[in-house]
Amino acid sequence: MKDLVRLRTSVKESVELALNQQIQMEMVSSSKYLAMAGWCDRNGFDYSAGFFYKQSEEERSHAMKIFHYLSDQGGTAHSPEVPAVEQEFDSLRAVFEGALEQEIAVTDSINRIIVICRRENDFATDELMKWFVKEQMEEEYIARRCLDLFDQIPADQIFELDKQLASVTYDGAPFGE
Amino acid sequence: MIVSARTTSSAHAVEIFRTERGAVYQCDATQRLILDFWDTHTALSTRDFAQFRRMVNTIDVQQMALSTGSAYDVEILAPPRSERCYVLTLCEIIHLRELLNGSQLMLDLNSMLRECGCSLTSIA
Ligand SMILES: [Fe+2]
Ligand SMILES: [Fe+2]
Repeated sequence: MKDLVRLRTSVKESVELALNQQIQMEMVSSSKYLAMAGWCDRNGFDYSAGFFYKQSEEERSHAMKIFHYLSDQGGTAHSPEVPAVEQEFDSLRAVFEGALEQEIAVTDSINRIIVICRRENDFATDELMKWFVKEQMEEEYIARRCLDLFDQIPADQIFELDKQLASVTYDGAPFGE
Repeated sequence: MIVSARTTSSAHAVEIFRTERGAVYQCDATQRLILDFWDTHTALSTRDFAQFRRMVNTIDVQQMALSTGSAYDVEILAPPRSERCYVLTLCEIIHLRELLNGSQLMLDLNSMLRECGCSLTSIA
C-alpha cells in the first residue's frame, strides 16, 4: 500500500497546522505595525513611523517565507484571516511596549513550532525555524533597546528621541553574521 | 470525478477504514482516496481529501445544535474539485467526521510503518 500522504508532502499535518498559524501571526504582526506606523505618522513622529512601516513590510515577508516553504513542500498554505487591530495608542512609549510584547509572543510561538518539528522528526522545517530564531533575537533586541532610549533621553527632547529610536540596529554579534 | 467504488475497489482499492455509515478506500493505481458515504462514491486526491476533512472538522456543530433557525439545520459541503455536494445534518456531520478522522489515522499509521521500513500491505 502506497504512502499517499508522504508522496504528496514532506510536511506532517501537525507541522502544517502550526506553520499556517505562524503565517497568520506574522500577518497580524504586519497589521499591528502598520497601525503603529500610522499612529506615529499622524502624531508627528516621522522617524518612528518609518521604522514601523519597514517593520510591517518585514513581517509580511516573514509570512511569505513560510507560505512559500509550505507550498514548495507540497503542503497547503492558507491565506490567513487578519482580525482588527488596535489603531490608537496612549503614547509613543506605549507603541514601543506593544512592539516588544508582540515580538516576545512571536518568539514563543517559533519555539513551540521547533518543539513540534523535533517531535515529528521534521528537520527541514526545523532548519527554516532556525532562521526565525535568529530573526527573533534581533527583533527583541531592537525593541528592548528602543525602550531603553525612553529612559536615557529626556522627555522634552522628543524629536531627538524619535530620531534615535529609528536608528537602533543589531549587529548579530553572537553568531558573527 | 465520481467513480463507482466497486469497479475501483475490486481491482486496486484497499479499504483503509470503515464505520457503520461508510468506508474509505485507497487506490494505489490512481493515487486516490475513495470516500464511500451514504451510497455515494467520491474519489479524491490526498490533498483534496485533507481539505475536505478540514472543512468537515471546522463546521461549528455547537452552533448547529443550539440554534433554532432553519439555516442551521443542515450544512452544505462540496469536496474540492468534485461534482459531489453533501447536504448534511448534525448527525451526519458527526458520522462523517468519525469516518474521515479514522481514515486519516490509518493513513498516518501507514506513514509511520513506511518510516520504519514496514508496510501495511501484509495487513490489508
Ligand atoms: Fe516576524
Ligand atoms: Fe518581528
